[in-house]
Amino acid sequence: MAVCSTTTLSIGGSVFSGQLRHWEPNESKLFQKPRSRFRWLCLNDLYLLRFRTKTLNFNPSGSLLPSLYAYGKEADDAFLSKVNEDTDEMFDDLMKKYGEVVFRKNDRKSPSAELDDDAESLSFAVEMAKVASDVKAADIRVLFVKPLVYWTRFFIIATAFSRPQIDAIGSRIRDLAEKKYGKIPSGDAKPNSWTLLDFGDVVVHIFLPQQRAFYNLEEFYGNATLIELPSETQPPFHT
Amino acid sequence: MIQPQTHLNVADNSRARELMCIREAVPNTPLERSEVITAVIISTRKELKRDNGMIIRYDDNAAVVIDQEGNPKGTQIFGAIARELRQLNFTKIVSLAPEVL
Repeated sequence: MAVCSTTTLSIGGSVFSGQLRHWEPNESKLFQKPRSRFRWLCLNDLYLLRFRTKTLNFNPSGSLLPSLYAYGKEADDAFLSKVNEDTDEMFDDLMKKYGEVVFRKNDRKSPSAELDDDAESLSFAVEMAKVASDVKAADIRVLFVKPLVYWTRFFIIATAFSRPQIDAIGSRIRDLAEKKYGKIPSGDAKPNSWTLLDFGDVVVHIFLPQQRAFYNLEEFYGNATLIELPSETQPPFHT
Repeated sequence: MIQPQTHLNVADNSRARELMCIREAVPNTPLERSEVITAVIISTRKELKRDNGMIIRYDDNAAVVIDQEGNPKGTQIFGAIARELRQLNFTKIVSLAPEVL
């Protein structure tokens, strides 16, 4: 099933329109198979522009970087072809000529700094998960979603069995985060059947059992790697 | 520009097909009538500008149905979502979205 959304993107102030089509071959549900690194954008009504941007190297681990093919009005050539058969060839020619043209953000950190941030967020996430397990939340999962989404690093999903329990988990997590890390979450203040606490890099989802089954976030993010949590049934290791 | 009487498409798999805007809800005010549903607008034909110069414009106006508690009624959302929704405290919708621009 191809998710077809018509979008107009503008980069650097110049506006162009096109149709973004995400090709995910043989996919009935999103995120079920490992996503291809390469996303084809099919543009109808091709308006072309020469972009002198640096090509972005794809992360070998297959993380999904948003790759936007930017096309605008070409000043020199009268290249406004409306014929669809030729557009594929034009596409290929451009690709050969300019390589993969990708929009690059200026605030990219070096890989080692990224890893440090990841480690920091990971320790934060594991602490939050521990707090949740102290309050007897069930089925706590920590998912590393950074390769799938760019807007956050970790998801914590937990089930609580009653609203007061959700309230308790939420307030404990909020207090610990504020006291120890100085982070204040945005998200639900009142307990909700799906309570969400957004700490920037880490997003905490607290569900009631029916909501968890209904929204089924683990299936949606099935490609995320699960982080092993130190189980509390194991005796603490004293040397 | 979404105003009362605007027809909106529905971008999730809740069983609504089309919505008409009757009132814009100011954040944090309760909505009284129960036969009317609340929805969050996720795409507009009017451009959305960002500070870095990026402009996003969709080809239709669409919304996602949410219930009184603010939870989305459907389980899937179709189409890409702008990340401004996260700053407006709709992270639940963002977490169900297939792609965030």
